Amino acid sequence: MTTTNGGREVDPWRFAGGFLKKVLSRNIPDPPNHPPIPWAPVTKPLSEGKVALLTTAGISMRGDTPFDMDGERKRPTWGDPSWRRIAATATAESIEANHLHIDTSYIERDLNVALPLDRLRELVDAGEVGAIADSHYSVMGYQGASSATLENESAPEIAESMSSEEVDFALLAPV
Amino acid sequence: MGLVARKIEERGIPTVTLNMLWPFQAGIGMPRVAAIEHPFGRPYGDVGDREVQSAVLRAGLALFADAGEPGTVEHLPFVWHEEPEETKWHPAEPSPIIAFLKKRSG
Repeated sequence: MTTTNGGREVDPWRFAGGFLKKVLSRNIPDPPNHPPIPWAPVTKPLSEGKVALLTTAGISMRGDTPFDMDGERKRPTWGDPSWRRIAATATAESIEANHLHIDTSYIERDLNVALPLDRLRELVDAGEVGAIADSHYSVMGYQGASSATLENESAPEIAESMSSEEVDFALLAPV
Repeated sequence: MGLVARKIEERGIPTVTLNMLWPFQAGIGMPRVAAIEHPFGRPYGDVGDREVQSAVLRAGLALFADAGEPGTVEHLPFVWHEEPEETKWHPAEPSPIIAFLKKRSG
């Protein structure tokens, strides 16, 4: 189902440029052929729930193992499929971002452009959101030819971690 | 990323995916998609733009209550403050795969 806001549909290619549009468009099936969509019903209002955020920006806490960029440079069809835990108190100063497909300098100046922990905390303070989870998450969005490890190992581990922290709502943002 | 959303949802936790490239929904099947027309790398807004960051965060979170069925795609009304030709989001060097593909396509 597609709903529009004010009748205007988001242009997915506005910032992509012609070459990237051509490369990526090949991977969009027409007609749609996705498997049945899982659905976890919302059971409480946002003001009573705990929220965790996830980004694909390749962010790691300083001191933690960074995402593997050398491996991708050696094998352009491979992307690091692992994940990192990001503290709720993280700021641009306490993280590094490793992602060869975007300019990461914005994230390194203001983490909130991709992982808005400060803004989320403000919503908690304002009573709009019940709580902020202790842990937030990053993967690295470019997965090359295979996303099997991300799907079958990293994603279930992230889901388990969220579940153990009793997260009620997960907001994910690819970069 | 959509695959991650599906796994989290399967674990019983509702997800919203804020997404520039929302047409990939056709092949992935994400539970709730908030489509956003922002440049790659800054989905929530620009550096220091607290107002837009907050508004996008709120709009994404609102979809938890508003989305009534699996596969909902909500198109958010945000308009980026720069024209595409003024908006820098590319890495300093082309990514390895783009460099490879460009070389191959001549």
